[in-house]
Formats: sequence, structure tokens, C-alpha cells
Amino acid sequence: MENKIKLLIVDDEVQFLESIAKRLELRGFEVITASNGQAALDFARKEKFDIAIVDLKMPGIDGTQVLGTLKNEHKYIEVIILTGHGSLESAVECTKLGAFDYLPKPYELDDLILKLEAAYKARLEKKFKDNEEKMKKLTSLATGLSPIAILRELRKLDNEEK
Amino acid sequence: MKKNKHKTNFDNKLSEFDETKYKAIFKKQFTRLLFTYLLPLIFLAVFFHFEYRNIISESEKLHLKSIAVSQAQMLDLFLRERIVNLINLADNPQIEIPPSSKTFESYLLKLKRDSDAFIDLGYFDSIGIQKAYIGPLPTLLNKDYSKEKWFKTLKENDKRYVITDIYLGFRNRPHFTIAVKRQIDRYFVIFRATLDPEKIYKYVQSVLTSKDVITAIINIDGYFQLAHQKLGNLLEKSPFFPPKTNQPGISIASLQRQNTDFGYCWLTQNEWCVVAIKEKWGETFLSNFETKSITASLIVVAILVVVITYRSKKIVESEKEKELAEREKNIAKLQLEHASKLATVGELASGIAHEINNPLAIIASEAGLIKDLLDPQFDQNVNFEELIPHLNNIQTSAFRARDITRKLMSFVRREEYKLDFHNVNDILEELIQGFIENDLYVSNIKLIKNFSQDLPKTFTDANSLKQVILNLISNARDAITPPGTIFISTQQISNEIHISIKDTGCGISQEQMSKIFMPFFTTKEVGKGTELGLSVSYNIIRNLGGRIEVESLVGFGSTFTIVLPITNTTK
Repeated sequence: MENKIKLLIVDDEVQFLESIAKRLELRGFEVITASNGQAALDFARKEKFDIAIVDLKMPGIDGTQVLGTLKNEHKYIEVIILTGHGSLESAVECTKLGAFDYLPKPYELDDLILKLEAAYKARLEKKFKDNEEKMKKLTSLATGLSPIAILRELRKLDNEEK
Repeated sequence: MKKNKHKTNFDNKLSEFDETKYKAIFKKQFTRLLFTYLLPLIFLAVFFHFEYRNIISESEKLHLKSIAVSQAQMLDLFLRERIVNLINLADNPQIEIPPSSKTFESYLLKLKRDSDAFIDLGYFDSIGIQKAYIGPLPTLLNKDYSKEKWFKTLKENDKRYVITDIYLGFRNRPHFTIAVKRQIDRYFVIFRATLDPEKIYKYVQSVLTSKDVITAIINIDGYFQLAHQKLGNLLEKSPFFPPKTNQPGISIASLQRQNTDFGYCWLTQNEWCVVAIKEKWGETFLSNFETKSITASLIVVAILVVVITYRSKKIVESEKEKELAEREKNIAKLQLEHASKLATVGELASGIAHEINNPLAIIASEAGLIKDLLDPQFDQNVNFEELIPHLNNIQTSAFRARDITRKLMSFVRREEYKLDFHNVNDILEELIQGFIENDLYVSNIKLIKNFSQDLPKTFTDANSLKQVILNLISNARDAITPPGTIFISTQQISNEIHISIKDTGCGISQEQMSKIFMPFFTTKEVGKGTELGLSVSYNIIRNLGGRIEVESLVGFGSTFTIVLPITNTTK
């Protein structure tokens, strides 16, 4: 496994997708792009992503729906909203839905990278915390459980993370 | 300071008024009021004046006549008495025939006791010689009077007495005589007395009650017998020619070239006529009253003219105020329309921001990418051809952004009402492509167009129409919780163009329906709507000669229809 941060970028502007993907790739990210909400959700179900960058206004399934579904379906994914439709209300709404951050278009790449790093860190921390708890739980469980039962519990925990 | 500015603005506006127009209004109002108030008044005044004059003149005539009659009666009575005096003397059986001069004097005294008008007394034999005389002119004794008219009359006729006209006679003094005949068997004798006309005149005048009336006595030939000094002298030819009738009457004489009425009455005793005339002939009794009433009328007229002028000025002033208010209203309306236009744009702003930010994001992103590609750090080794698609992307995005701002500006710019021939479909198409299509697409609202292809052009203001349509579509969009559909259709129905904007939104309740065209009514969340849109839209369409119709069903959506008249003349 390589240790690249894996990004999913969703935007209905294809030219934008291509350029942002290329730039982020140059900076060492692994990028998958989707030009609509449905495609993004499909990708996310197939592969595991660290962070999703999501546009708000899109035909079909729009940004808020994608955000909600992603957060719902994947425990550790962080979502950064990147949109031209910049208003305070939409930012607040997105934060409520669990977006990690909100960035208006046009964006500064450095800002985006800072946010990506922060998001990745947050994700790691969360995962780490969860793992710690898992370990505690495991150790508490380990005393007095059969190895088969331990293995079953482990699989259960592993299944929780997707 | 703001107020001052306002005021100067006003003054400028006032000076812009078309003064000639207001002069015309003033003139019109002035004449109108003059005709309504002054003319009937003058008409009535003239009418009553003439009526009154007529009545006065009639009563004047009656007055003159009655004076003539009373004077004539007076004179008649007087003469009759004098005749009776003389007859009594002549018929006295104790009288000596011929009388002696001594007794004759006592007869005269007796007569004078009856009336001081008697001057002398004479006795004539049948031949006509004055055989006895007593009086101031003793030379008249034995004079022959046989040729005198009165003598002849008495001699030849069967008359008892004769009254002569006034004449100068031998004595060269105005006098007249009464002669009484006494028949003694085959012959006759005559007693004749001379009377002083002055005395009679004084007597007659003494009973004259009216100060303004003067009288005269004329004989049958029209010579003055007795007259007020103003009318003429004794025995002069008079200007009066009363018709010889038994009845008293009114006639017209010309005195000093002035036609004037006079009353007349013929005497029964003598062929004399009493005429009565106003002392100031040619003038009416009214003259004084008339000057007063004319002055009063003039004052009234002057006051009326002043009042009418004032009223007319007031009317002009109120007209001016009305126009000023109208102008102010129009200015306010324009400002409101423009504000609402800006507000409509404001509502669209988020969508438009999206539209502009997207190409900007592409530009920034592509530019960044090119920088990256050229950056030795990334070691990409690109040749220039590989950069061209990215540069093209930048260019097209820049133009995309420019087009949006341009459309926005063309819409927001405060443009004058510019009426021209427009195809409503073209206006809609332009608007949809410019502002709506993409916004609705990304908002997950379907747009279905159904334009009538043979729609005639109409004479209208494209900018206003665009604003209203944009407002209605924006409302439709806000009413929809995505996904939804907006139907836009055009259609010609008789002589009107119907532009329908139908949405599948929340609909409008019965209660809201009555208020939607009122300013500051909104169903939108606070801060979201402009609260002006529909009321302004309604006014704009009304100004274009059309109307807006609404149909709505709560939960199913609303249909707003702009109905425009098809105008193919420039008016």
C-alpha cells in the first residue's frame, strides 16, 4: 500500500476537474474525479477515499446530497465543499451536514492543500481514537474470550470501518 | 440639506413647465367662469333695468297725464266760476241798461271780490261800442269792438258767453276776456270782463303737487297761453301738438331737439289745452338712481372679475401641483421599478455568482496548472503544444464570465422606456439563455418551453418585459422544492399575446392570492425576497397596456400569465 492521500473530486465542470486533478496529482495526491453526484457515490462505494472535494450546485444529485450520503455511508471520509455558489447559509448548512470545511471558488491551491492536510489529520486522529477504543475494548474482551470469538469481534469492528 | 436639495430640484422642475399651456388653461378657465357667472348676471341686470325703466316711464306718463287732467279740471272750474260771476251780473234784473259809470264801478268791485283775476269790466251795445268801462284803461271807452272775433261770435251765434284766447289787444298786455250776452227783447247787450292770466296761472300752479312737473296752457293753434318760463313765453308758438280729443292722453313733443313725453287735457270751457311735462325733460326720474346702480354694478363686476381671476389662478395652480405630483409620482415609480430590477438581480445574484465563479475557478485552476507544468520542480518537460488546450480553456472561461457580466449589465442598466417591435419569443429565449437556463439546470428544475412559432411582433418595451418575466421565473424557482418543472409558453389568443409561466411549486393560498400584487408582500423567508417584485411587475405590465393573471392550486403550483395586447401601430 502506498501512503498517498486518496481524493474524490466531484464537479460538473469537466475542465475544472481535469486541471485540479492534475495539480493535486503533481503534489502527491491520488485523485479520482466524478462529473456528477451519482458517479461520485458509485466510486465511493467501490473504493475507499480519505477526502472528498464536492461542488454544491450540480444537476442530478447535488452537493448537499452527496455530502450527506458520503458521511452516512463512510465513517471516516472527510468532505470539503468547494463551490462557486458561495453564501453563508449554504456554508452553515454544509457544516451541519458534517462537511469538514468550505472553500469558495475560485480557490487558492495552497489553501486547499492546507485544508486537505487538516482534513487528513482530523481523519487520522479520529481513526486513531477509534482504534484506541477498539484496542481497549479488545483487550477487555480478550480476557476470557475464545480465540474464535476474538476473531469474530475483530471482523465486526473491521466491518464497521468502510 | 437634503430637504433643500429636494426643493431646488422642485424649482427646476417648475421652471420646466410649459407656461403657454398654463396660460391657455388660465384663459379657458377665466372665460368659462366669466361666462358662467358674469354673463347671466349682466343679462339679468340689463333685463331688469329695461323692465324697471319701462315701468317707471309708464308711471311717469300716467303722472303727467293726471297732472294735466287735474290742472284742466281746475282751470275749467275756475273759468266756469268766472262765467257764472259775469252771468250773474249781466242777468241781474236790477242792473241799469245802459249802466251808469258809478254803479258800474260797484259791479267791478263785486266781481273782484269773487276773484282778483278780474281786471276791468265793460258794457257793449249791440253795435259793438263800449258804452261803459271801468278799469285801468279808461281810454277804451266808446271804442268800437264790432270787428272783434268774440263780438262777432256772440252776435252771430246763439251763445251765452265767449272766452277769448289770451292776447295783447289795445292795451298791449297779455289778458283774456270773458264776454256774456244778455238778450233784452230784440236786441242784446254784452258785458265783458278782462282777466289777468298771471293770476290764473298762479292759482293753477298753487295746486300743482309735483315739484318736478311744469305745465303750460296752449290754445287750439298751439300757441302758449300760459306757460312756465322754462317752456316759453306767452303767445309763442309751442312745441306741443296734442291731438284734439275729449280724452286726456300722452303725446310726444320735441323740445330742444329732445323727444319727450307730455300729458295733455283739453278744457271743456274753452279751446285750451293743459300740457304737463317734466321740468327736466329728457331725463328720467331714475337718473340719479341709475348712476348709483351703475356704479354698484361696476363694483360688483369688478369684484367678480377679481374673484374669477383669483379662481382661475387657483385652478391653474392646482393643475400645476397636479402635474408636479404626477411627475414626482412618475419619478418615484421609475425609482421603484429600478430598485426592484436591482432586487430581482440581487435575488439572482447567488445563481449568477455561481455562474461567474465557475469560469473563474477554471481560469485560476488552469493557470495554476500551467504554472505547475512549467515549474522545474515538478519536472514535467512539457512542450508548448501541450499547454494550448489549457490556454484555450482559460480563454473560453474568461469569455464565459464576460458574457454573464455583460448580460447582467445590459439588464441592470437604467434604460429609458424604449418601445419597439419585438418578438416575445426572442425576448424569452435571450433571457432564458442569459440568466435562467443554467441556474435552473443546476438547481434541478426542469424548464419546458412551448413557444408558439407564428407569434406576431408587438410594439413594447423589451427591458420592462424582461424584468417582469425574470421576476416571475425567479418566483417560480423559489416556489419549487427541487426537483420540479417550470413551463414557459407563449400563445396568441385573439388580439393578445399570453406568456405563461407555470411551476410545480407550493402554490398560493386563497388568503395570499388577494395580497400578492401589493407592495412589500412576500411569502419568502425574511431577507430572501425583495417584497417589491410582483407589485412592480403588475404596474409595468399595466403600463405596457397588458395585465397579469394568476391561477394557483396549493400543493400543485401556480401559473402566472402575462397578457400583452398586440400593438402593430406606433400610435
